[in-house]
Amino acid sequence: MKKSGILTVIIIILFAFSCKQTGNNQKKGIVVLSPEVAEIICALNAEKEITGITAECNYPPSLQQKKIVGSFSSIDKEAIIALNPELIFCSSLEQENIAYDLKNLGFQVEVIYPKGINEMLSDIERIGTLIRKKEEAVKLVNDLKEEIEKIKANAQGKLRPKVYLEIYRNPLMSVSDSSFIGELIELAGGDNIFSTLERDYARINPEAVIAAKPDIMICYSQDTLKNIINRKGWQNIPAIQKRRIYFEKDINPDLLQRATPRCIEGMKELAKIFAEWREEK
Amino acid sequence: MKKILILILWFLIGVSIIIAYLTLGKPDTNIITQVRIPRLLLTLFTGTALAGIGSIYQLMLANPLAEPYILGISSGSAFGSILLGISGLIILMPVGGFIGAGFTMLLVWKLAHQKGRFDKSRLLIAGVIAGMFFSAGISLIMYLHQQDTALILGTLMGNLGHIFTKGEWTSFLILMGLSLIILIYLFFQSTAIDILSCGDLYAASLGINVLSLRRKIFILTSIVIGISVSYAGIIGFVGLIIPHIVRFFIPSGQKKIYLLSLWSGGIFLLACDLLAKHILSMELPVGIITAFIGCPFFMWLLLKKQG
Repeated sequence: MKKSGILTVIIIILFAFSCKQTGNNQKKGIVVLSPEVAEIICALNAEKEITGITAECNYPPSLQQKKIVGSFSSIDKEAIIALNPELIFCSSLEQENIAYDLKNLGFQVEVIYPKGINEMLSDIERIGTLIRKKEEAVKLVNDLKEEIEKIKANAQGKLRPKVYLEIYRNPLMSVSDSSFIGELIELAGGDNIFSTLERDYARINPEAVIAAKPDIMICYSQDTLKNIINRKGWQNIPAIQKRRIYFEKDINPDLLQRATPRCIEGMKELAKIFAEWREEK
Repeated sequence: MKKILILILWFLIGVSIIIAYLTLGKPDTNIITQVRIPRLLLTLFTGTALAGIGSIYQLMLANPLAEPYILGISSGSAFGSILLGISGLIILMPVGGFIGAGFTMLLVWKLAHQKGRFDKSRLLIAGVIAGMFFSAGISLIMYLHQQDTALILGTLMGNLGHIFTKGEWTSFLILMGLSLIILIYLFFQSTAIDILSCGDLYAASLGINVLSLRRKIFILTSIVIGISVSYAGIIGFVGLIIPHIVRFFIPSGQKKIYLLSLWSGGIFLLACDLLAKHILSMELPVGIITAFIGCPFFMWLLLKKQG
């Protein structure tokens, strides 16, 4: 009895000493859970500071060498604790809970979820300040503003095509102007046919698409050209008659859906499509 | 006399709802013929099928809570169509729904028998368990495929705005024709179902082949539900509440109850879809509207009956 008691005490002591002390280690690096913020940080030339990402952070491709701490909506907290980062960037939506948990664990957590262009610009500056790249951030923002002004000026006074963006087929869903992608369409010189939906992304009535007669259709709903052409009652839509339907392979959705500096490229591609439409007119 | 007046009024209301459904907002003929009529047919079909089958189940299973979805067939059907939907085969979703419904039906029917004997409560329990199992399957898919949440919610909350391609439309018409034949056949079984509700022994003594009648009804209704779920998703409350409301006016006589349930179910769903399309500029899931209108109305009827 006595022997086993002594043995237990020895085991407990050995166990306690075998644990590594991590509490006092200095926190280092940045863990980014949002693909948008990852792109912005890399655009600010701070890629080497990033120590952990989520599986969705796929741009720039060189990020893939970093440690992956889960996917956007299911994050491995232990992997983040093991990295012991100085700063964690979260998005909103499903990540709100994890942000709260990580804050309670004593990490500095910043939630960044830009909903429009202006918010994106101010968020870039905020990220710049947080990662000590203020100068780069200010310069990037000024460059972006200049580019946006150029695109806006280009579209000024020109004919605006009516644009229908389909993000889902069953049920049919589209975007409003208050969504990021809706704002890009308007800036690039197009008119979103569902500008005033009550939600950024919402179900729509199919007959509203037919009645609106869109000139251009952007299809991110994974439907095929053959099916779209064969939809009942859709034959009178100009975009379908003239085959001005663009798929993911034509415009990368990440350029339009992510609030990052790459949205300039997205807007330029949209402007190009709109210009082609004007030429045909 | 008062009842006949109510019935005539209800019929006229139905007709005016159909007209409003087709012409509201002054659409051009292309929209009426190519979009509204298909949607009208899908909605009427779904509503009539759910309410009609609900009235049969409530009588046959001697359970006021029985409805088309209680036997798990809808969840099985939804699971099948969602599975194909997330694999990118959106066009084939009705096929998946059909296979899911068929599979669940066979499973539940098998479980409902003990040593070759059919048992009403075993059928209900088997149905509820199968339904729970497939709901868990749907939750799992939803958790793993977050990007397809809209598709899954569309199936779970009802979606009457199905966009038909031309080929799909033809196959839908054929399947709807088949369902109509089944619904008409079930009408002619009303008397037998009425007798069946008095007990197996009594029915058998009157010369009804109880076992085969039950199997036939179960298989035929499952086919219709499978078709409806695979196109319109799961739309709750119509199959449960409409037959009960009809029984407030016509307490007995399955023939009349069945016919009025068919009509009322179709018109009720049509009215709900009309609201779902027009309350906001975006479209609301119709399942939410059916519950919001159906439940308070039902409560009011219950209270009135009490007083």
